[in-house]
Amino acid sequence: MEPRFKLALGVGIVVAATSVMAYVGASASWDYYVTVAECAARAGPLAGQRVRVSGGIEPGSLRIAADRSQARFRLQDGASTLNVVCRGPLPDNLTENAEVVVAGRLKADGQLCGDQVLTRCASKYESQRSEEGP
Amino acid sequence: MRILGEICLLAAFVGSGFAAFACVAGAARSHRRVRWAGGWAAGVSVLGLGAASAILAWALYRRDFTFAYAAQYSSRLLPAQYALSALWVGQAGSLLVWAWLLGVVALVYRWWPRSHDLRPLAPRAESRHGVARRRWPDSSRDVVFGILMACLCFLTAVLVFAADPMEGSLAPVREGAGLSPLLQHPAMLIHPPVVFLGYALWTVPFAVAVAALASGQLDARWVRQARPWVVAAWCVSGVGILLGADWAYEELGWGGYWGWDPVENGSLIPWLTGTALIHALLAWQHAGVLKKTSLSLTIATFALCNFATFLTRSGVFSSLHAFSTSPLGWLFLGLMIGLSSGGVAGLVWRRAALAPQRPLGSAFSREAFVLLATVCLLLLAAAAVVGTLSVALSSLICGQAVAVGPSFYNQVLIPTGLTLLLTTALAPLLRWGRGPSEAQKKWLIGAACAGGLAAAAAVVCGVEHPLGWAVAGLAGLALAALAGAWIVDGTQGKTPPFGRFRHSPWRAGRRQYAGFLIHLGLICLAVGVTGSSLGKRQREFTLREGQTVEWAGRTIRLAGVKQRELPDKLIGEAVLEISRGGRLEATLAPAQHYHRLQEVWTSEVAIQSTWAGDFYTILHGGTEDGQWYLSLVENPLMRWLWLGGVVMVVGTAVRLWPSWRKSARQAGGQTPDAARDERRDETPTSNSLRRIVPPPLSRARERRRWASADPVPRTEERGKT
Repeated sequence: MEPRFKLALGVGIVVAATSVMAYVGASASWDYYVTVAECAARAGPLAGQRVRVSGGIEPGSLRIAADRSQARFRLQDGASTLNVVCRGPLPDNLTENAEVVVAGRLKADGQLCGDQVLTRCASKYESQRSEEGP
Repeated sequence: MRILGEICLLAAFVGSGFAAFACVAGAARSHRRVRWAGGWAAGVSVLGLGAASAILAWALYRRDFTFAYAAQYSSRLLPAQYALSALWVGQAGSLLVWAWLLGVVALVYRWWPRSHDLRPLAPRAESRHGVARRRWPDSSRDVVFGILMACLCFLTAVLVFAADPMEGSLAPVREGAGLSPLLQHPAMLIHPPVVFLGYALWTVPFAVAVAALASGQLDARWVRQARPWVVAAWCVSGVGILLGADWAYEELGWGGYWGWDPVENGSLIPWLTGTALIHALLAWQHAGVLKKTSLSLTIATFALCNFATFLTRSGVFSSLHAFSTSPLGWLFLGLMIGLSSGGVAGLVWRRAALAPQRPLGSAFSREAFVLLATVCLLLLAAAAVVGTLSVALSSLICGQAVAVGPSFYNQVLIPTGLTLLLTTALAPLLRWGRGPSEAQKKWLIGAACAGGLAAAAAVVCGVEHPLGWAVAGLAGLALAALAGAWIVDGTQGKTPPFGRFRHSPWRAGRRQYAGFLIHLGLICLAVGVTGSSLGKRQREFTLREGQTVEWAGRTIRLAGVKQRELPDKLIGEAVLEISRGGRLEATLAPAQHYHRLQEVWTSEVAIQSTWAGDFYTILHGGTEDGQWYLSLVENPLMRWLWLGGVVMVVGTAVRLWPSWRKSARQAGGQTPDAARDERRDETPTSNSLRRIVPPPLSRARERRRWASADPVPRTEERGKT
């Protein structure tokens, strides 16, 4: 066999294996990005699906367990709200008014069971200052 | 002071703009005076940026809140070192530091004495392939410098018109907002400038590639110009990524160092393409192949640095690290798209000069493995791009935004990472242009056996996951292959008494062995990543003072809880005594810090680090009745990950250490390295694939040969060239 074909075969195997693994990995960690309003409106079809929802934490709604193993809050985006229960590593800067993205599974009753919370500390920081004026 | 700063910025903008124009125009028309003026303008520009940075640093240090930037990122309660580090924390400040570093790098490029330029020209100036022996013309160097100045002009324009670091506060400010508590970490003192230095260094090979494409001088000279900068940029970017990982590991308090976050991916993608670039350039130089790939990767890597800036600053992607939602990111995205389109057009234009010089000699030649490794690196980079952009891409294509999680990246990493490790491990026992020699084949078989033994040892040691076996096997293979290459190089395939080499492989191929040392660093890194990913264990505990628990082979006792007060924060820490077999091994103090100014709590973890692994402790808080909530994490082999980074830096330093001065004394101006480079530039054609291995020359005879410029019959270069 020509060296070129041997090399092409090797490259082909690697590309094929990577594609298969990428498909397997993507289908295992597929999160639909939805808004808070969509969660409320499509609670039925989205129930049981993995979703990511972004919004702000409603002031006064944040309750964090003393051992930081769980947090409950209401996610707010415009007029819509969504009840969230989060387990897993909670970021230090999970505070009232924080802008967060929660990844987790949506239940039929419209509650989101999150397993990952992302906060945007630096951004919140900057925008807060610019809104208030220095 | 602010006005002075503004004047400095304006001078930098005008100076860099003029320098870019003068250097390019002066080079095109051979106007030495115009180029000279351009050099001076560049000096003024860099001086202006340095002065502006110093003014801002002074304002931050003095807490001069008339500067809006100081009011936003500094406070009187902030320790001095973090007040200074605020210089590269905010958007405008970080761009200023980046621009200044780029200016300094450009000046270093312009005035760095080059061995190749200083070297007298060989009598046979025209080599078989035309121009390989001639030096890189001064005009091309000026064009490169002009392109660097154009990039600097873009950054200074952003500073002057869009993100002014000298902007004044609108109203008097008594106390600044201070630095985000999460950014108050030693790694954050140097992580951002190291990343920006990496970006600045990647600009040089890009500029050299553009100059080469524009002039059509696409021979090995541009590779020689670009190569040290590529290696330096790769190393600095790698260090930047590892510093970021260290920050995430220690500061974010979840026991991990990499989350496949968009901003982390943004810094990783150019590093991956840069790694591919280093190897593609080697393949160009030694085998005359992968020419289009090399140029594409040079341009793509720089374009991807801009893409990373877009990710960090656009606010489009949810990330812990994101700066802000600002339109500034889009400028960098625009630049990236422009560069990519320009690069593709340039490659199409010069496609005739970029054809491979000869067909592939063997599927087991080094260039074949370089190609395979390049494909793996590009697949990994493509997966990172697709994963990062998955939200935007899916909403564009299907109308429904979809994000992929870490599992996607981890799965892609399995086949690509293992293939990369295999190519890395086998590289020392392969040759350019043809398959391995008989001696190398024997060692390949031996190395494979050593790999098998290492995998078996991993099984015996209790590693349960097949991936762990594979990585242990590949690590064993890599070590045995390197030892084999050392012996084959030292003996030139003969079998002298063991320990008596005919010549030192290290002296003969320092740069090559520096590369293999970097490969060993990668293996260490892979061992650390695999160990910490597969063997991570975590458990939550609720303890009272004096209570003891047994976990992970250790006895953990909560000896007490202390409270301390500092000017800017309140500290509550748990004192944990970690003992094993009745012997106290370490006392750890994980803590919670309350930052008064920002009114937030942060977790400060405590780690017991050994070569077997890290014991990572987190204090979450407590209740009034004396219960304390702790998380204990065992991360096996973490230290190997950081060791990998250190080995890579040492390898790069050895690779870049200049050799021409010492050798020039020896050989009257032409160095063994340079001479070897030149012989390599004469890309071997099929008839130059040496079949006969001449006997090794004595040292004295070899020296005479380096000194002589007469064409000499090529010798087998330590069995591998």
